[in-house]
Amino acid sequence: MIAVEHLVKQYGRFTAVDDISLDVPPGEIHGFLGPNGAGKTTTLRMIAGLLKPTSGRVVVDGHNVALEPEQAKSSLGFIPDRPFIYEKLTAGEFLRFHGGLYGLDGDGVMDRVHEMLDLFELRRVEHELVESFSHGMKQRLVMCAAFLHRPRAVAVDEPMVGLDPRGARLIKDVFRRMSERGVAILMSTHTLEVAQEMCHRLSIILKGKIIAQGTVDEIRQMAGGADDHLTSVFLRLTGGTALQELEEAV
Amino acid sequence: MKGAFTYLLLPAIWSSRNRAARRQPGDLTRAFLFGAMGIGVFAALFYAAAWVTWQLNSYEELGDYLLRLGLSWIFMTFLAFLTFSGIVTGLSTFFLSDDLRLLLTAPIASRRLFYARFAKTVAQSSWMVVVFIAPVLLGVGVVRCAPVSFYVTSALTILPFAIIPVAVGTASTLLLVNVFPARRARDLLMLMSFLFVGSVVILLRMLRPEQLMRAESLPDLTGFFSSLQSPLTPLLPSFWAGELVFASLKGGWDLMHAGAIWSTALACCVGLRVADERWHFSGYSRSQEAPKARFAHFRGVDVIARRLPLSPVRKQLFIKDVKIFLRDVTQWSQLLLLLAMVLIYLYNFRVLDLGRIPYMSGFVKNVYALLNLGMAGFVLATVAVRFVFPMVSAEGRAFWLVRKSPLEMRDFLWSKFWIGLIPVLLLAETLTVAANELLDIDPFLKSVAAVAILFLSFALVGLATGLGARYPRFTADNPSDVSGSYGGVAFMVIAVLLVIAIIALVGWPSTTYLYYQLRHRPIPGVRLASMGACFVGAILLTVATWLHGMRSGIRALDAMSN
Repeated sequence: MIAVEHLVKQYGRFTAVDDISLDVPPGEIHGFLGPNGAGKTTTLRMIAGLLKPTSGRVVVDGHNVALEPEQAKSSLGFIPDRPFIYEKLTAGEFLRFHGGLYGLDGDGVMDRVHEMLDLFELRRVEHELVESFSHGMKQRLVMCAAFLHRPRAVAVDEPMVGLDPRGARLIKDVFRRMSERGVAILMSTHTLEVAQEMCHRLSIILKGKIIAQGTVDEIRQMAGGADDHLTSVFLRLTGGTALQELEEAV
Repeated sequence: MKGAFTYLLLPAIWSSRNRAARRQPGDLTRAFLFGAMGIGVFAALFYAAAWVTWQLNSYEELGDYLLRLGLSWIFMTFLAFLTFSGIVTGLSTFFLSDDLRLLLTAPIASRRLFYARFAKTVAQSSWMVVVFIAPVLLGVGVVRCAPVSFYVTSALTILPFAIIPVAVGTASTLLLVNVFPARRARDLLMLMSFLFVGSVVILLRMLRPEQLMRAESLPDLTGFFSSLQSPLTPLLPSFWAGELVFASLKGGWDLMHAGAIWSTALACCVGLRVADERWHFSGYSRSQEAPKARFAHFRGVDVIARRLPLSPVRKQLFIKDVKIFLRDVTQWSQLLLLLAMVLIYLYNFRVLDLGRIPYMSGFVKNVYALLNLGMAGFVLATVAVRFVFPMVSAEGRAFWLVRKSPLEMRDFLWSKFWIGLIPVLLLAETLTVAANELLDIDPFLKSVAAVAILFLSFALVGLATGLGARYPRFTADNPSDVSGSYGGVAFMVIAVLLVIAIIALVGWPSTTYLYYQLRHRPIPGVRLASMGACFVGAILLTVATWLHGMRSGIRALDAMSN
């Protein structure tokens, strides 16, 4: 459903994403892990059509993002790490407008908006301005918008940041339910517990290159510690010396 | 509706509606003040246009010729303004606007997004032109008893006239962004804009338009306007617009220029759309890239700070504020405009021909010194509201850093005060002293003006710092938004009242002194005491404003921390 083929992004001489390929079939939750600055957000922004790749291609639901951007974007829901929401609109107005961008029309739009607001527990603030929302509420509103048009694939950047345990649990449940309905989800995260708990497969990116790909068990074996916790495996693969240095500094 | 480009303008309309429905404290006052100022400007422009047209009526054919040239000249001035405005606004609406992050991930046809963004760019770039040109045309129309078709033609001319230069400006932006990163291009454009405006203002002043006000210089007037014409002029949309409006003023139709202006506007739209479809995404993509910026280290600031007798905390605050200001081109480039204004201000005093009033020159010159003090006070208030008032808000989302530190809010705000005071005081004193020197006024008045502006500087900077802390806008993206907020408007109102009060308190004793001095008579004791009381009153008023402003700011910051 989401296919990334030999994707490269260069900023001048610096290569942020270096020839990466990955494939997320329908119904799969694919974890995209890596340390800060590894190239996760850049990759997701290229998938969403916000950045132009230097080379390579992205295909969403059979449509090349560069050649058929409208068809590809119709099938995709994108949840960025720093989402933009019109602060002076109410939650209901924002979702109605967002639905219109994806061609949702008629009486059914408001039913769908209410369905989403109920799902993400935001119905009581439907008529309140977004500027009065907490970070977690805004995050949930962006998820409402991303799932509003029933996308077939979702790219999501750090979904759990700033959410309380209840919010995090809610998001996990929604993602699982969507995946059971055949939605492909590519999720970048730093929360390794979340990745371990939710993802069917993982890709680990370091300095723009994918250094490991597979199920959690396969990645454990690659790192040579079959029974280790994912955190230890991750640190071993991405170079965990920074932790030691931190300990010494403290 | 959902397929039309106008659908993409809905958030702006809904947001405005919501903002109007949920008024914040001070919104009404601000609307009233700005509304009154707007009506005042509109009335002044209407009156000026009507007066000039009325005067030109006496010259029959020559008057018609001058009116025709004048209209073309007004449109030409706006043409240059709109082109620059289109460049700067296009950069923001097409490349830097935050909502693009949302809109570009949605399945919207690039053509639809282009039309929505272009409509927004034209509206944002040209509203000020419409506000200025409407009363002018109205004034001309009323005096000439123009038919209704004149007003309809004027409205139908302004739209394509605005579209053409804004399209050219936006096309330049499209090109620039594909060559430079957008954020660097923004800095470059801001600098260019301010240099452009500053040069135009200085150039216009150097033409000495006051000479044209003399009755004997009517032949010069035709020469003045003719000098603005060139073989290229008939090819410019400003000429077409002027001809079109003038023809309708005479009750006729100028279909050739109507066709020229409308077809060019449409061609510009289509051409720009094609270019946008080809290059917008690559330009936007570049604008998202954040390569390591080259920046100046300003090590001199560290050296200066080390030598200042300040506590380590104040030294660091000083270094931070100065470096942030100097590294933000959008901030300091406005100083270029200010410098141009100051040069013109001083130049005006240089060319002031008071010798033409032989018997009054001595007295008038000294009254000018008070006028100069008033003008310097208003310049001071404007600079303070633009640069000093937003200083606390400029901490923005990083204000937590100050709040969580052991730094007392008192120290923080006083540091802001001193950083604001020194440049403002230098500017105000230079203006006052230099202008008084050029006027060659009485030494007593020179000293009074220099001391008065010193106290005014303390009062206005203290008030701006204090009110800026009391009404901060930490989430504002632009310092000019902070200046236009409720607190900023309140500051301007108080500042203007204070300047008027100080002029009155200083003016009466100074002119009384001059009155007795010119007549070589001693000042009576009672009068001397009243004069002293006025000077003391002025000192007390400025000191009270300064300290009260600061105290109220410190209290507000303390309350925020608690």
